[in-house]
Amino acid sequence: MATAASAPPPALTFPRPIFAAVSPHPFLQAHLSADKSAIRANGRAAHEFRTPGVNTGSLTHCNGSAVVRLGNTSVVCGVRAEILREEDTPGTSAPAAVDASGEVDDDEINEEGEDEIADLRLLVPNIELSTGSTPAHIPGNAPSTAQQSLITRIRTLLHSTQLLRARDLRITHTPPTNASDPDAAPESELKGYWVLYLDVFFLSLDGCAFDAAWLSILAALKHTRLPRAYFDDEYEGILCSDDPAEAASLNLRGLPVPSSFAVFEGRGEGEGEKGSDWVLSDPDAFEEGVCREIVTITVDQGTIRRVEKSGGGVVGRETMKTLVKRAVERWGVVEKATHGRA
Amino acid sequence: MATNMDRRRNNAPSGGTHAPVFARTLREPEYLQTLRPTRARGQNELRRIYLQTGIVPSASGSAYLEIPSSTSISSSTLIKPASSLKIVASIQGPKPLPRSAPFSPSLLLTTTVKFAPFATRQRRGYIRDSTERDLGVHLETALRGVIIGERWPKSGVEVVLTILEGDEDGWWGDAHASGSGWGLLNVLAGCITVASAAITDAGIDCVDMVCGGVAALVRNPDSKDGKDLIKILDPCPVEHRDIVAACAVGYLASRDEVTEIWMKGDVGSDPDALIEGATHASVGSLSVVKEVLLESLQAKFQKQIENSQGAQKRKAEDVEMTG
Repeated sequence: MATAASAPPPALTFPRPIFAAVSPHPFLQAHLSADKSAIRANGRAAHEFRTPGVNTGSLTHCNGSAVVRLGNTSVVCGVRAEILREEDTPGTSAPAAVDASGEVDDDEINEEGEDEIADLRLLVPNIELSTGSTPAHIPGNAPSTAQQSLITRIRTLLHSTQLLRARDLRITHTPPTNASDPDAAPESELKGYWVLYLDVFFLSLDGCAFDAAWLSILAALKHTRLPRAYFDDEYEGILCSDDPAEAASLNLRGLPVPSSFAVFEGRGEGEGEKGSDWVLSDPDAFEEGVCREIVTITVDQGTIRRVEKSGGGVVGRETMKTLVKRAVERWGVVEKATHGRA
Repeated sequence: MATNMDRRRNNAPSGGTHAPVFARTLREPEYLQTLRPTRARGQNELRRIYLQTGIVPSASGSAYLEIPSSTSISSSTLIKPASSLKIVASIQGPKPLPRSAPFSPSLLLTTTVKFAPFATRQRRGYIRDSTERDLGVHLETALRGVIIGERWPKSGVEVVLTILEGDEDGWWGDAHASGSGWGLLNVLAGCITVASAAITDAGIDCVDMVCGGVAALVRNPDSKDGKDLIKILDPCPVEHRDIVAACAVGYLASRDEVTEIWMKGDVGSDPDALIEGATHASVGSLSVVKEVLLESLQAKFQKQIENSQGAQKRKAEDVEMTG
């Protein structure tokens, strides 16, 4: 840094925030390679996640809602249910599946019925980042690429984990008796679907947007109660009962929890030399800015549901194994947080 | 529906969806009336205000305002009760304008007001509609006169408000209620108050604290001919069957100045009384804002004093720049 180097250059010193802003990479590396106490700039150890805080049911006009906090990241998710009438659905989408699932009550994945949710777009997840939550997303512009990719990742995870059951969303009707043939068993027919709008608003963003958004959706869906809907012959439409005792919760399939990791590639002392690497759990915005390789592992209890990895080649098979272990440990913590206060 | 197609977001099914209809709202009108909320406060009594600053750490200033609804949530029905008012304000900046922008001798203020899709009884879209733009313009007028913009030449500041839950235009059981826009006045007053708290939190110089307040003329439900009007402060439109006129102001209490007036309805011969009522309401909310800001300032300075005491120590802790 010193230009006129005749005398030994005076050591250049800065207060912490300025050092972090001027040269983020060496700043984080200095923290991580400290001998005695190797902690990240935010005071966490490399393996440490932020404790999730979950608060449900605060929004009036939603069937289910949740506020999730991960450190300085805070998210609101509202689930709103509206009705899609059968005559408004394009084409015929496996009405046969209805009769079967009316009686069959098991946890098996009903293969033929499950495409309904994706085909009819019964889940409408959307994410809004430009709420002043971060200086990078200023309102007034179209959704940024980051926001669009976040929405897509959330949607594919919703569909690939088959979190919701199509049976919970169907509205069926069984006519009392058939006048011409009183002996025939009444056949239930499909009258409509519940459509769930999942709106995720970021109040404050400090890294790990995907994890936070997903957790808020999960907590809100767990809290969601749909009123009992039935087809009314007199009204010739779908009506709902406002009795809370008749309302049903959604029967979610498992609890997939994503854990994000960022790989910090240390720089060596000399030219072309490679320093050591660190894998940081649950990176914050500052760390995300310095790291290139990001790994997101979604686990449910002990099984891996999805692995996403991009940006580099540091994480090999061995590292991946330890990351999965870390993600499984994280699952336990999140499971407690969503259950404890829900 | 196809015209509302937004290619950058996930869209609803193309057939369109309908909000659920509850059977009892159609079949039992008498039952419905039992759910109608009524005003329990006095004519000059405001609703309770909850305010907190500094809730968005990544912004330079932020605040959260909540006015809980006075009606208790009944557990015997799923029909949604009257909504409360919940607004988040976040300030980004002041920061330098881009090089391409023309020279500006004072701070450029941009206000954005957005309802969340779940903020109201009818679901809202993601693209800003005319109401939201209108509210944004009203808010900008209210704030522009307060900020001392000359101290930030060539810079801009973004004031972003997200309405998580908005006051309704009237009781949902009344057919004429929706679209009348009485609720918007409350939303605007809330926006002014919370934005002003956030601006102070951001440390932007202002001539005074601006605060929002609303007053309304309603028909007295107890009178016989229904011609008798009473003036109330901080009206909750859900609680009143007939609102005749309402007025929202942005008021600077210590200078006795008004930066913004929005008046609706048939004011009659004496509009000044209504405006004065609204300023009284804004003074009420100012007392809350002042207290909250004092508290947060105290917390801030406490930290600074501690830091300056440890200044000597910190000097030694300065990080040496290597690599």
